[in-house]
Amino acid sequence: MCPSCHGLELEVLDLAGSGVVYSYSILHHPQHPSFEYPVIAALIDLDEGVRILSNLVGIPPEDARIGMPVQVRFEPTRGDMAVPVFEPRVLGR
Amino acid sequence: MTTGLASSTAIVGIGQTEFSKAARRSETQLASEAIAAALADAGLSSSDVDGLVSYTIDPVEETELVRAVGFDAIGFSSRVPYGGGGSQGVLLHAAAALASGAASVVVAYRAVRARSGTRFGRADVGGRPTSSHSGTTAGQWCSPFGVLTPASWMSLNVARYMHAYGVENADFGRAVVQLRAYAANNPDAHFYKQPITLEDHQASRWIAEPAVRLFDCCQETDGSVALVITRADRCPEASRPVLIAAAAASGLFEEEIASNHYRPNLEVMDGSVALARRLFDGFGIERGEVDVAMIYDAFSPILLMQLEGLGFCGFGEAKDFIADGHLGLDGSLPCNTNGGLIGEGYIHGLNLTLEAVRQLRGDSVNQVEGATTALVSASRTGVILRRP
Repeated sequence: MCPSCHGLELEVLDLAGSGVVYSYSILHHPQHPSFEYPVIAALIDLDEGVRILSNLVGIPPEDARIGMPVQVRFEPTRGDMAVPVFEPRVLGR
Repeated sequence: MTTGLASSTAIVGIGQTEFSKAARRSETQLASEAIAAALADAGLSSSDVDGLVSYTIDPVEETELVRAVGFDAIGFSSRVPYGGGGSQGVLLHAAAALASGAASVVVAYRAVRARSGTRFGRADVGGRPTSSHSGTTAGQWCSPFGVLTPASWMSLNVARYMHAYGVENADFGRAVVQLRAYAANNPDAHFYKQPITLEDHQASRWIAEPAVRLFDCCQETDGSVALVITRADRCPEASRPVLIAAAAASGLFEEEIASNHYRPNLEVMDGSVALARRLFDGFGIERGEVDVAMIYDAFSPILLMQLEGLGFCGFGEAKDFIADGHLGLDGSLPCNTNGGLIGEGYIHGLNLTLEAVRQLRGDSVNQVEGATTALVSASRTGVILRRP
């Protein structure tokens, strides 16, 4: 329910998939067999104003930075599903 | 409204089991043992009790507890949500029930087997749209990305805090060294006789980098603690009461407990700021009156963030406040003198309340000379206790 108007209609919007890293954390322990460690967890502030928890991929952990511009890409998961993860945005894209 | 609670109720009994890694008995038995000890401390019997308060996620069923301890007239019961952040809310509920006349003797308890039972720190990817009333439904948006434990949830907020104020993990380490020094003197503590240096802290392995090392984490603990609360004008003659001078909760449901990643500014603990307003301004108590503080330290960084949110130092200044020795017995705000949840054990925050009572009775193993006023903060719930 919308907390402002109590409306129940849900609208789906396309997002650009670009944003900046608000925070990140390099996860070492505990380890779960579904992941390759270290995992970089990150909070991404999307350009549209929404914050999303995801992973930083495509960079070594020591290169992660708060404020880093990032772009979404989709990683396949079991059962033909996918999750959004983020990699450094190449300027000009 | 809250001032009607000011010093009208008192903690008259405290009790606990041993704190261990393997209790080898049920939570119900642990709670029963702690409650029996608290009643004996208060000079009351189970038939005097007519109120029960605990946490929503506590596994002990009231029905079983009533049968086990032999309560025959429970007329009031309630449970506080929000996990350990709600821990001090049990005293708010108890005080409200007593002040209104809904109950005359309230028992507050928490029992956990957080090591031999369900461990908080274990990787668990079970998708759970609900959270067994732990207050962390957003966990379902964390687990697909490997963010599986309270330490990892919280590390994202803490990393942003560190970035904003130039805080390093060693700054958390200085707080941990103090907690472990206190725990070293406490025979009930997991880390009894095991003080550490900052070098030891910095050598402990990363859990979530750059925020949390192993020694920044509280102990997964088995055990139970209990308190007996009555009206201040009806304390049992043989008891050693401690007044509940202030009790408050701030917006318990406005955010997730540790996975509160969606507030605009994660560099400040909003809940602590709101709690301080209610406790200090709402009850007309000055921060300078606090002789000793117990501050919820599930992870050491949130001790710093609460010190700032509560207003004991400026934002970003807790690292200097701690480096200057303010949390020690000779400092301006001796803090978590039982060793905290990091040094003593993690009975989900309620063992901090027992240490506050011990301080005001003059019974702590790390006694603050002449302590008359104690604060207990669990981020969004808190109490101020006073020696009568």
